[in-house]
Amino acid sequence: MSLSDEILMAYADGELDPERAAAVEQAMLADPGVAQAVQRHRALRADVFAAFSGVLDEPVPPRLQPRPGAAAAVTDPHNVVRLDALRAARARPAAPRHAWQHWGGLAASLALGVLAGALGWRGMHADGDAAPFASRGGALVAQGALADALSRQLADVQGQPAGGVKLGVSFQAKDGSVCRSFLLGRTGGLACRYGEHWQVPVVAEGEKAQDGAYRQAGSEMPAAVLEAIDERIAGATFDAGAERAARDRGWQGRDAGR
Amino acid sequence: MSVSLEHDIAALLPRLRRFARSLTFHREDADDVVQIAVERALARSEQWEAGTRLDSWMFRIVKNAWIDEVRSRVRRDQLFVPEEAGEHVGDDHAGAQQQRMAIEKAMSLLSEDHRMVIGLVLVDGLPYKEAAEVLEIPMGTLTSRLARAREALQELLSDRPRKKG
Repeated sequence: MSLSDEILMAYADGELDPERAAAVEQAMLADPGVAQAVQRHRALRADVFAAFSGVLDEPVPPRLQPRPGAAAAVTDPHNVVRLDALRAARARPAAPRHAWQHWGGLAASLALGVLAGALGWRGMHADGDAAPFASRGGALVAQGALADALSRQLADVQGQPAGGVKLGVSFQAKDGSVCRSFLLGRTGGLACRYGEHWQVPVVAEGEKAQDGAYRQAGSEMPAAVLEAIDERIAGATFDAGAERAARDRGWQGRDAGR
Repeated sequence: MSVSLEHDIAALLPRLRRFARSLTFHREDADDVVQIAVERALARSEQWEAGTRLDSWMFRIVKNAWIDEVRSRVRRDQLFVPEEAGEHVGDDHAGAQQQRMAIEKAMSLLSEDHRMVIGLVLVDGLPYKEAAEVLEIPMGTLTSRLARAREALQELLSDRPRKKG
């Protein structure tokens, strides 16, 4: 079966339906040339995106504001900050496909402020460097102890969690990146590895254990994070061996030859 | 209702500015495009159907503002100005900056159609369907235009070694 470059491009952009995406994935396994072509499309996309992402962090000149005052973000009653839902329009039917674009709609610094307020970090971490997250190129990225734990810690060898970070599951996402869920106190989140950084598409505060509500053993992860995992995961979560192998690859996706 | 539209448009400003910057690298020109677009959008707010994507509607207005008003003021050979292109550099190191400038320069050499489709799909990350709506072209045209634009961009970049940011 021969696949046009347009199909490979659409695959790299996450535009194919599951059936056609599966056909491309098979072709990628069978033919390294196909895998390379997909990788070229992805790399160009990532490079072009990165070249312009800094604009999101620039202050918006006042003359552009339709009225004074910046946008407010939305937090729901469970104190879940859906970072991807912070994007502008209220009625947005389609979810963006790539986690690294979820931040597109909003200067990350604004979202960081909202996040700090909603999750109560503002007082805890007056010093910006001690905060677990930073904004970089329009995206929220893990830093400090959280980034270290994501890069080094394996889920099966956690004695005393380093820096208070507990790792959950690791998996390959549909866009080819490797993602890991984490708990920081009662705050859960998902981090996906792009290049040298852990981007964080969703963070949420865990719900308090409620009266009759049962919960699975070890499932302290907030529902919003579990949903985000379901949306992204390709295949199953890594077992201990696969997780170790992923760490040894620097958490780069299997087909990411960069 | 109009208050909430203004509010929602304000939240889109960073993305609109980024898209405009992919059309012209002059920050002032790019902001002019956005300002005109915001004014037009508010003047025609009744044309926006609540429940449809505001971002697609706004991008379309930015695109038209660029075509109608600002493009004619900007001479093509002024599209790329290295001093200015370097201005929005954040904390990243020289390699990433060099790569960014190479990409900006290559973008400036693309045809208008190609630059717009790259700006919508690769820079902003709009899905194909929404990008086609912004450009007011069929999906098939969008896909083939995007493929050709990528090819052209890759070619312009290919004389430089790729560098990881």
